[in-house]
Amino acid sequence: MTEFDNFKEDLNKTFPCRQSQINLLLSLFGQRHQYTYASLFIYGHTGTGKTAVTTYILNHLKLPHVLVNCVECYSSRFLYEMILNSLHVNSVTESSDLVKCDNMNDFVRMFKQVSEEKGIDKETIYIVLDKAERLREMEMNILPAFLRLQELTQQNVCVLLLSEIVWEKFRTGSGYCEPFVLHFSDYTNGKYNNQLIEIMMLDHPTEYDENFYRLYLNLVLSVFQMVCRNLKELHHLARLNFQRYAEPVKTGEATAEDTRKLWKNIEPHLKKALQTVYLREVSSSQWEKMQQSIEAGQPPALQGLSSRSHVELPYYSKFLLIAAYLASYNPAKTDKRFFAKHAGKMSKQSKLLKKHERASNHMLGPKPFALDRMMAIFYSVIEGRVAPTANIFMQISSLVSLNLLGHVASDDQIDSPKYKCLVSLDFIKSVSRTVNFEVMRRHLYLNCDI
Amino acid sequence: STASEVTPHIPGRSRPLMSPSSVLEEARARLHVSAVPDSLPCREKEFEDIFSFVESKILDGTGGCMYISGVPGTGKTATVHEVIRALNKAYEDGELSQFKYISINGMRLTEPRQAYVQILKQLTGQKATPDHAADLLNKKFTTPGPRKETIVMLADELDLLWTRKQDVMYNLFDWPSQRHARLVVLAVANTMDLPERIMMKRVASRIGLTRMTFQPYTFKQLQEIVVSRMKGLKAFDSDAIQLAARKVAAVSGDARRALDICRRSTEIAENRSPSKKTNILVGMSHVDAALQEMFSSPKIVTIRGLSNQEKLFLRAIVAEFTRSGLEEAEFSRIYTQHISLCRFEGLTPPTTSQLASICSRLGSIRLLLVEHGRHDLQMRVRLNISQDDILFALKKKQMFDE
Repeated sequence: MTEFDNFKEDLNKTFPCRQSQINLLLSLFGQRHQYTYASLFIYGHTGTGKTAVTTYILNHLKLPHVLVNCVECYSSRFLYEMILNSLHVNSVTESSDLVKCDNMNDFVRMFKQVSEEKGIDKETIYIVLDKAERLREMEMNILPAFLRLQELTQQNVCVLLLSEIVWEKFRTGSGYCEPFVLHFSDYTNGKYNNQLIEIMMLDHPTEYDENFYRLYLNLVLSVFQMVCRNLKELHHLARLNFQRYAEPVKTGEATAEDTRKLWKNIEPHLKKALQTVYLREVSSSQWEKMQQSIEAGQPPALQGLSSRSHVELPYYSKFLLIAAYLASYNPAKTDKRFFAKHAGKMSKQSKLLKKHERASNHMLGPKPFALDRMMAIFYSVIEGRVAPTANIFMQISSLVSLNLLGHVASDDQIDSPKYKCLVSLDFIKSVSRTVNFEVMRRHLYLNCDI
Repeated sequence: STASEVTPHIPGRSRPLMSPSSVLEEARARLHVSAVPDSLPCREKEFEDIFSFVESKILDGTGGCMYISGVPGTGKTATVHEVIRALNKAYEDGELSQFKYISINGMRLTEPRQAYVQILKQLTGQKATPDHAADLLNKKFTTPGPRKETIVMLADELDLLWTRKQDVMYNLFDWPSQRHARLVVLAVANTMDLPERIMMKRVASRIGLTRMTFQPYTFKQLQEIVVSRMKGLKAFDSDAIQLAARKVAAVSGDARRALDICRRSTEIAENRSPSKKTNILVGMSHVDAALQEMFSSPKIVTIRGLSNQEKLFLRAIVAEFTRSGLEEAEFSRIYTQHISLCRFEGLTPPTTSQLASICSRLGSIRLLLVEHGRHDLQMRVRLNISQDDILFALKKKQMFDE
């Protein structure tokens, strides 16, 4: 029993702040020969240690188990064969020995056979199904059958379902054998008892003092905690920026106790990281490189991913895109005012319209438009005569394949196809600037400030 | 004895089946649906018609079709079987030339084209694929050959032989019209207008106008059927039989149903009698109890057996339907109603997850029709029972009887 206690202690050290979950899991599992729940449903947010804790326990207690990721098993056959073959794994040497199984009936029969062959039918076999929400998309019988596998195989088997969504979203049809539902709660981040710091302290750099790193983590969390509580992300960011924090100590500008100076040094840097590295504007390796050459250039000197929204397009394609944008965001009633050559004054009716349409089109998203309308706007905005050649229509379809336009389903695809413009206002502004076309003031119907 | 190994057989009993010892056991054996009597009461006319139709075809050496329809349990298949028995007897008496009887059942076939395989197997004992069997049969029926005997074929559950191209049905009804076929087809199905409804014109016209409809049994006929089976056995009060017959005739006119009810009431009578007397008479009360068991709706019983919160959830649904005037409501709306009902009753309101599990349970026993759980709060809920039934079930007794 002392060995078990040692293991428990070790487990609590490896996974701090998961004590209650670990204790519950261990007591549910019980002894090897004892029967446990037919199925456990474990849920919790990303990075709360669902997979890590369960697999660690199963691995270190050397319990017979199978770990399957349901994303990999896009058809049920792979799921069945993966479970059977990994139970079978020691004796299999050639691919011809692999078990073939393509329905639940065979699976239940062969599961019994394999477990008896391997001599593990006297102890609990654990089947861990990670990302279990994918099971809902497979055939209807899979989830109910896994939930009562103990009953079907008449063997000591326990199915663990790991998921990020709640159990209610799995329910359907004629009901399931309800599993035991276990929640992995989020790590709390109180002022005095910050579980996230506890966990991230596990692998602090050895060359620095423990307290020094703890203070640093406090600073990191004070900046990032507002937007992010994901352990993985925070851990990654803390690792990434630590060199920069420790720099003054290294060069001798400040001592390890001079927290104020260190804070002043790192704070703008972390805030910059929030806008660049956290949103993956700049990749982590680029960020590290920049830190190494910090004297040479400031971090935002490099352009991020999203600022590179410039696309080279042919001349007519640009106008087609502008026309599509105008067709998508202008109400059709205003077309006459904007695009007809000799439009009169604004009539009373259109003034009424302006009052009526309070909600901005830019808030509601693009509207679909017919090809005819887009071509009419195109001929109105472009200077000179353009023949409606096959080339022009080819450019429309290539804009669709570039995902700048979207095809909307309509009744008739050949006669009157419908499109939607999928680009942002900034993009269309930059495109119109390159062709010296003023899109904002003259042509765009705006009834609120942008 | 290779033949006995090859012929499929069921393993024999270790002990022989016990013969009935008491009057009620004897009655039960006679009332069993599979105990078909030698002559069917109340179907004399139909028997006569089918018999003379087939007999005339055999005597003439021609072929033909007959379409027999009627609701389930009116004795269609039993009458045809009886006709075949009578024809066999006539052949043995030397009044009729030889004929061969085969039968196919649409329900026993995995797919319609398997009918060819079955027919060929019963005619020649040969096994073939459906296509090959169809070719062989076509050849057999269309080409003149030295054939002496007529083939009588019973095609049961005809509606299941329907295919998109209707080739199976077409062949089945086309072969009798061939000059050399000497095939008599007796097609049996439930609906009277089947040929007009699902068959193409050329198939329907080949069936011809020789049709027969088996009317549902009236209560007198049902009574006669039961009485004839009970002949010489003092097991039933005559009023009890009449009650069973009248109740069944009012609903379906299904003879199987009437026999089942009578069987069940013998069991009830046996269980209710205090001592193991040898001659118990099945009375009205026993038949009434059996009728209650068979005809009463299980839904109201189910509602009464639900937990308090589940009952409250049903009431919340009814309340939401009355509020909105629609027959469908979102789960979130019903949840609000449920909470306010809980407040009225002074109960602790459940959480959404608890109520979702209540909802899915009621959905899984089909009191409600619910969508997939992934819609959670937007899940739409409908009732699978009438609102009146719910109110009746919940009002009749005190709702919360501690």
